Amino acid sequence: MAQIPNSQEVYDVIVVGSGAGGGTATRVLTSKGMKVALLEAGPMLDPFKEFLEHKMPADYDHRGAEEGGASYFGKGKPFGFFSTTSGGWQLEGEPYTVGEGSKFEWFRSRIVGGRTNHYGRMSFRFSDFDFKPYTRDGLGFDWPISYEDISPYYDKAEEFIGVCGSIEGIRSAPDGKFHTPPPPKVHETLIKKSCDKLGIPCIPNRRAVITKSINGRAPCHYCGQCGRGCQTASAYSSSQVEIFPAMKTGLVKVFDNAMVREVLSNGNGKVNGVLYVDKRTREHRVIRGKAVILAASACESARILLNSKSKEFPNGLANGSGLVGRYLMDTVGFGLSGYVPALEGMPHYDTEGYGGAHLYMPWWDWEKHNKLDFPRGYHIEIGGGYGMPGVGSYHGAARTYGYGKDMKQNIRQRYGAAVGFSGRGEMIPNALSYTEIDPTVVDQWGIPVLKFHFKWSDHEWRQARHMERTFTQIIEGMGGKVLGLNNAQRESGGISVPGTIIHEVGTVKMGLNAKNSVLNGFTQAHEVKNLFVVDGGSFVSNPDKNPTLTINALSWRACDYLSEEMRKGNV
Amino acid sequence: MSNLLNIAPASPDGRPGRRELIKAVAFAVVATGGLVEDVEAAQHVHAEAVSAQKATGIYTAKEMSAAEFKTLGKLAELIVPADDVSGSALDAGAPAFIDLLCSQNKQLATTYHGGLAWLDAEMNRKFSKSFVNATVEQQTAMLDLLVEADKSERARMDESAVVKKSDFRDFSDYTFKQPHPQAAGAKFFDWVRKMTVDAFYTSPIGIKDLGFMGNGAYSKYEVPKQSLDYAMKRSPFA
Repeated sequence: MAQIPNSQEVYDVIVVGSGAGGGTATRVLTSKGMKVALLEAGPMLDPFKEFLEHKMPADYDHRGAEEGGASYFGKGKPFGFFSTTSGGWQLEGEPYTVGEGSKFEWFRSRIVGGRTNHYGRMSFRFSDFDFKPYTRDGLGFDWPISYEDISPYYDKAEEFIGVCGSIEGIRSAPDGKFHTPPPPKVHETLIKKSCDKLGIPCIPNRRAVITKSINGRAPCHYCGQCGRGCQTASAYSSSQVEIFPAMKTGLVKVFDNAMVREVLSNGNGKVNGVLYVDKRTREHRVIRGKAVILAASACESARILLNSKSKEFPNGLANGSGLVGRYLMDTVGFGLSGYVPALEGMPHYDTEGYGGAHLYMPWWDWEKHNKLDFPRGYHIEIGGGYGMPGVGSYHGAARTYGYGKDMKQNIRQRYGAAVGFSGRGEMIPNALSYTEIDPTVVDQWGIPVLKFHFKWSDHEWRQARHMERTFTQIIEGMGGKVLGLNNAQRESGGISVPGTIIHEVGTVKMGLNAKNSVLNGFTQAHEVKNLFVVDGGSFVSNPDKNPTLTINALSWRACDYLSEEMRKGNV
Repeated sequence: MSNLLNIAPASPDGRPGRRELIKAVAFAVVATGGLVEDVEAAQHVHAEAVSAQKATGIYTAKEMSAAEFKTLGKLAELIVPADDVSGSALDAGAPAFIDLLCSQNKQLATTYHGGLAWLDAEMNRKFSKSFVNATVEQQTAMLDLLVEADKSERARMDESAVVKKSDFRDFSDYTFKQPHPQAAGAKFFDWVRKMTVDAFYTSPIGIKDLGFMGNGAYSKYEVPKQSLDYAMKRSPFA
């Protein structure tokens, strides 16, 4: 087909994807004076149009049920009308397939900023032992880098994006450069007391929300609506915090609605551009660059590499090892909620805080694996408080209490008296969990789609049962009663549906050599010196820590390395 | 300076002043080094969002007949009645909410047209009166029956429609659980109940009833000692 070159311009670096990895890369590279082309498969973001931060349900005639009551039929926005997801579990015209016997759900955001516009903003450093898991227990693989390699970049990332937290000295949760965290809420104080009795550390949460002004960003004003996007950019998003400021330098050109099909190579072991579909015109276009950084999300980057076939790379770009798409991981999720009579009738107050729990529980038993029936560990996230009533909030209560004054009184009395726990644990990479190109299906742009295969092993199942026992103990320890599964839809059956924690990583793993990995420790392709992958694809393991902060840090480190190598003439 | 906010294109939905106020938050912060002065500006942003709420005017039904709309109103008053804390779901605009969504969705409209007709037919059969013309005792007797039917139908679906004998040999050993006689009405009742409850608790009346105090703007987040003391005293940690 006709391929239209965009212009004669050759960019220093082409960045594909505008989430945490791509946003960081764009900012770091432009700050060094490099010219960047940033491609995003969705449209430009307008925070003042997209972010419904300060709205209440009654501001809309549909109250959040959406046009025609779409949310009642499971056809509303994935996390509710008010969330800033700009994507979903399924995108029209952009399917994926799942192998027989597997379950996998793939969440994609198509907008500048990607999933960082709405994500949970949990920002946990990996621990020193997280980089050497194979050495510890013989499972999975060691990373080619250590905590000492990444630590300076955790410092930089935390200082730049802004993370709240406290200095605790807990090995599983290394301390960082923190803003002052907000104080615990009442239900969290009770949870902490219960955890104290069980020997489980319960410490101030670490979220990418600022409590003092930095870089012209206002401190958090505690409206509690981070998931809707933050108009004052007090909560980190790569769009507002990295890409928009980078655009002001004049060094970045953003190509939105640009669906990358493949990375182009020059036949001499290097890449020299990308081929993309302009979604507005359906035309194929080419952009040329001296280096290419993929940051399209782990699976999408794997897809681009696998679809970039040439004489030189018949199995896909940088895929001599055959490992592109392999060792796909998600986080192990399990949730349980409890009813706490001590909270009943409490004088109400504003429990929104900085938009998430103010405390969390990092993993505590890292030295007691001989007493556990599963490897690695998990952290616990907390829910509770007087949340904003929304469509669907009281359907369960209505079904329990019938109707009338009795139902009304019960809903009133129980409001804010429940707590929820979500375990987020480490999965061991396995050979049955991977993604590949489905040779029988293309999307509406003509690009072959991904097919997913996934299996939880006994390691993950046993860990989920440990979560269940632990949450039960915490709930009962505070005089509460277990209510049942939290997030029932996504975490039914006793363990989360693979993919639904939206921590999918791996598939383009880093390692020491071209035989056992795709990338080196700088996320540079072993086989292609001017190609990098800075999303979660490079992850060798998926520790219980939510991946975004590590993506920020690894991307920053990769860009420092790339610019230095380009200066030296090595790339 | 506040480059993040300047670069964003203007809000196209015609909310004059809103963007400027949000900008003011950031400017105030920069000007004062992030101290308290920004709060007032932040609060303006929220105050403006709230004042933009539509005033409750007279709603003209788009989908329902006058009789249907009236029945929805009666149901709303019974499902979430007024009490000494707050008004009813009728006060909170439940019939208008339901009518609007029905006018946008044929499937939903059919559920309501059919369900309301079923309700009046059943009331006529039992009490020789339409729902709105029946006594409160008759109306609640019907709703009680529908609550029971809903629970029974839910249990039936939860388990399985078929029960297998332990010494299963052939299909004659299966017994099919019978649907509740009011099963069709129960489905409609579940719809009208959940949408009425939603309309109530998402309204300013419902928000006030529950005492939701969030989505505000403060320079500092504090937890009242009074609340903490209350819960601690009642907890095992007292």
